[in-house]
Parts: sequence; structure tokens; C-alpha cells
Amino acid sequence: MKELNRRDFIKTTTATTAGVATIASGITLTTYAALPKESNPVTNEKRWGMLIDTNKLTESNIDDMVNACQEEHGWGNETHSTGDQQAGWIKKIKVKDKATERISNLALMCQHCEEPPCVDVCPTNASMKREDGIVLVDKHLCIGCRYCMMACPYDARSFVHESLTNQKTHMPRGKGTVEACTMCVHKVDKGEAPACVASVSSDAVIFGDLYDPTSKINQTLKKVQSTQIRADLNLNTGVRYSGI
Amino acid sequence: MSRLLIVFLSVMLSSVVAQADHHIPNLGEKATEFKDEGKEAHKRDGMSHAASLILQRKMHPELLSHKRDKTLRQGVRGGVVQLSKCVECHTSVDKDGEFIPVNAPDQFCSTCHKKVGTSLDCFSCHRTTPAEEM
Repeated sequence: MKELNRRDFIKTTTATTAGVATIASGITLTTYAALPKESNPVTNEKRWGMLIDTNKLTESNIDDMVNACQEEHGWGNETHSTGDQQAGWIKKIKVKDKATERISNLALMCQHCEEPPCVDVCPTNASMKREDGIVLVDKHLCIGCRYCMMACPYDARSFVHESLTNQKTHMPRGKGTVEACTMCVHKVDKGEAPACVASVSSDAVIFGDLYDPTSKINQTLKKVQSTQIRADLNLNTGVRYSGI
Repeated sequence: MSRLLIVFLSVMLSSVVAQADHHIPNLGEKATEFKDEGKEAHKRDGMSHAASLILQRKMHPELLSHKRDKTLRQGVRGGVVQLSKCVECHTSVDKDGEFIPVNAPDQFCSTCHKKVGTSLDCFSCHRTTPAEEM
């Protein structure tokens, strides 16, 4: 047998590897037969936001919003949770100006901050912000420590205290995890508006892309005076209010 | 000697019985229909159907957890791997026409998970039956 020196060995192995790579490059091992398309990942070219006009928003509008949210996500039927344990993804809040005694009603939910305190404090990275600005809880990672509930200045998050069944397919919910408004992320990804926005027939609640100069929300924000709740915290919320 | 032979034979017999116990789990309503029609579920390109099924059986946790992160964190929706689709095909229907939860004893998921002694955490949050409108 011919003695194989180091140089010859490297030559032949390189040639063989190159040959195999050329021949086998067309073969992929794990592709599906008929591949239903996956949608593309969301990008930070968009930022979803909401503008709530408290002058136009009636109390019954707010009730409709709360009901639509409960219907969409299936919360509010917890039988064993009492008082503070009850889920409240969206709440009806009355604010009163002490000087003028003017009362305004508003719907308060997760404000989808650009700098979310809940994400800062989460020890497991479960609390997270998507590229398009929607703040979510990854319940796969949530350990139920409730730091995020402490950190949230809007009291927007709730904790599930009991075992649940019959959840909605698009909204898994379970005992021991924290949950909050998702801005109906499953609908937004399909190009629809969130359930609470759709439930209000007037333009008291506007939903859209804050960055898109042609969107209704962007144009309205340019024209009317609006504010963030607790703007002093510099969180740059995605949900804004006018008329308060 | 004959006593030893009896012991040996009984050990052989019990191992055969243990092998026969390796039964096919309750596939579920739609999946059974699919199989009876002769269609090849979970078939992948460049792989035999049997190999595809073995891959599906072994890799389903990895496939699902990879997709779950993509869906939740990047908003990637649709595609082949969806837990709701697993549930849709692999649930059975009881006598009254009601769906039996897929994680109930002797149902598709729990059969194997019980056998190999791994916990099944998906359904503490996820829906165990196909959605109402389906």
C-alpha cells in the first residue's frame, strides 16, 4: 500500500468534501411537503399605539370596551378569585380635578411603554417588548413572582390565582402566571384592530401605527393636544389620552 | 434443572408480553380519519413516512418550543407547527359528541407522556380541545 503523507491526505479529504458538498447541496433533510407560509417577524419600523379621547368616550363606551376585552380573551369568569385577585386587563377609571371638580372617565390598560418598567425588573425575561412596541408576558418563562405587577405604575397587570380550563385558543392563560392587555396581538398580526377599539363605534378610540405619517393616529396626534398618564416617568407610552 | 428452565421460560414470556404492550396510542378523531384515508401525516420531503413519524415523535417538543418563541417574541404566525393544530387532529370525541381534553388519561398526549414519565405542561395554559368555531 502506498504510504500516505500529510499533504496527500489533506488534498484527498478536501477534494472528497467539496465533491460531497456539491452533490448533496440540493438535499435538505427537514422540509415539509406542502409548506404553509409563516408570516415575517415584526420589525421596529412600526409602533402600535392608541389614542383615547376622554371627551368623546362615554361611560357606556368604556363598559363596551371592558366587555369586548373579556369576550375576546376570556377573563373575568374566575370563580375562586375575589377582590384584588380578579383579573383586570382593562379598567374603568374616574379621575377628578380637585381644583375644578371636573370628572373624566377613562379606560386604563397596559400602556405599552417604550421603556417598560415591567421588562426592566423581570428576573426571567418573561416580561418582554416586541419590536413593534407591544409589551407582552411570555408565560412559558413566567415564574409568577409578580415583580412586574409591583413595578407597573398603571396597575395594569393581574395574576392568575386558580386553575383554568376552556381558555381561548389564541389566548392561553394559566395559574401562576401574570397577564395583561396584549393590544390583541393576535388580531393586530392579522391586520385587524384590537377588540376594545372595534367595540367603540365613534372615533373616541383610535388605533394605529404611531410612526406612519399617513395613519389616522399619527395625524390626529399632530393636531390635538394629548398627554401620557404619568408622563413624568418618561416611559413614552403607546397609549395616549386627550381631554384629561 | 427443570425448575431453572421454568424460571427462564417465564422471564422470556413476560418480556414478550412487555413488548406487546407497546401499543399505538389513541390517535384522535381527525388523525384516525386521516390515517384511514391512507394519507401520510407529518410527511417530510426526502424522508420516508415512517422516518418522518419517528422524527415527529422524537422532536415535537423542540419543534413546538422553537415555534412558540418565534410566535410570541417575533410575531411569526401560521406555518406547520402550531399547538392548536396538534389539538385539532388528536382529540377524540365521547359518546355525546363532546371533545375529550387531549391531556385526559388515555388520550393522545397523556398516553406516551405517562409511559415515559415526562410532565406535560402545555395544557396548564393552552386549550385542550379544538376551538368552538371549528
